[in-house]
Amino acid sequence: MKRPVKYIICAIMTVLPTVCAHAIPDRPYPPQLVNDFAGILSRAQEIALERKLTAFSDSTSNQIAVVTVSDLEGYSAAEYGTEIGMAWQVGSAKFDNGIVVLVKPKTELSRGEVNISVGYGLEGAIPDSYAKRIITNEMIPLFSQGNYYSGIDSACTVLMQLASGEISEPDGGRTEAEDIIFGIGGWLLLVALIIIAGRGRRGGGGKNRRNQEDTWADDGDFIKGLIIGDILGNAGRGGYSRGGFGSGGFGGFGGFGGFGGGSFGGGGASGSW
Amino acid sequence: MKKGLLIVIAVIAVVVIWAVTGYNRLVSGEENVKSAWSQVENVYQRRLDLIPNLEATVKGYAEHEQETFKSITESRSKIQQLSIDPDQLTEENIAAYQKAQGELGAALGRLIAISEAYPDLKASSNFSEMQAELAGTENRIATERRKYNEAARAYNTMIRRFPGNLLASVFGFGQKGYFEADDNAAKAPKVEF
Repeated sequence: MKRPVKYIICAIMTVLPTVCAHAIPDRPYPPQLVNDFAGILSRAQEIALERKLTAFSDSTSNQIAVVTVSDLEGYSAAEYGTEIGMAWQVGSAKFDNGIVVLVKPKTELSRGEVNISVGYGLEGAIPDSYAKRIITNEMIPLFSQGNYYSGIDSACTVLMQLASGEISEPDGGRTEAEDIIFGIGGWLLLVALIIIAGRGRRGGGGKNRRNQEDTWADDGDFIKGLIIGDILGNAGRGGYSRGGFGSGGFGGFGGFGGFGGGSFGGGGASGSW
Repeated sequence: MKKGLLIVIAVIAVVVIWAVTGYNRLVSGEENVKSAWSQVENVYQRRLDLIPNLEATVKGYAEHEQETFKSITESRSKIQQLSIDPDQLTEENIAAYQKAQGELGAALGRLIAISEAYPDLKASSNFSEMQAELAGTENRIATERRKYNEAARAYNTMIRRFPGNLLASVFGFGQKGYFEADDNAAKAPKVEF
């Protein structure tokens, strides 16, 4: 057998099991909390829900991920939801406070299925029977009318109330006030650099009339200053990476910062209609 | 002479450092398996703890289902006699544990099934809550078993691969057993076109 062929076969053999084994969708990039793979939400509904959940994640550090899929790939809804929670690491590593709301819409051939998976850290705040009650009272009545958005939205509202009763700590990193201070600091440094650069030129150039070259040099310094200022500004914005900052069409508001390493033990409940 | 001695010392030092780090890695690998095992025991215990409440709820509506209650009590006492030393997580021990727990699971499944025949029971909020807790516990059991298997697989790979296998045989690190997929839980991903 020729070498390249051997390599290709080897590569396929290595990749195949991982491709087949993981029916769970990949962790979204840029990170986002609402992942409508089944396409049951409108763009506006998606944005509204994403905004609501991002604000909740920022203010309490509890992360609620909403996932819709059109096929559970042979898993039960509970397994599928837990797998997503574990694979995406929804919630923070410190509190394990993630929740996955999974919806598989009803089709002509298959039942609709829904699951709420609760991370280890929230099992006390949201016992299985509460999760079950949310599913039967808030979600399924609206889902069976085809109103997916309202069902998901009101379930999230209840989950947020329950979760924030247990864990409510602003997401790591700086507060808004600190952000402003760092931002001002960056700008002051930029201004200072420009002034220093300007002084240096005046001192060196004496009273020579400015020629073309000087103007160019001037611009160059200004750009340099801008770059330095920008770097400082970025440094001021935060030491940790905010992955989804204004990303993927959600421009205009600060995006979701990314999943934080939460772990799941299989808690939660499922239902079908 | 002196040079030779230095070389010997250097070689010994390298071997000792290798053995120490390798040994420590095996120890932490084994600890991972043990902590995954204790999680498995926790969730199985959680199921045991649910039983008295569940029985009390069902008995109120379905008194004459004595057979089912009897089989639950029997498999419960069997499990309580069975305790596995975390240092002895062998293939046989885990298979025995899984078998005993599986019998209890089947008995509980029958208990839930008979409730279908009692509309009052099915309608009671107490029972539906118990059912939700039980379903959540079953999913927890599946999850923790999967996590245990992953930890055991990582550890077993470590002690079977060269040169880890040398250390493992010198210090007596044995293989850990796995949970087998239950017949009803072994679902192959279905293919639909």
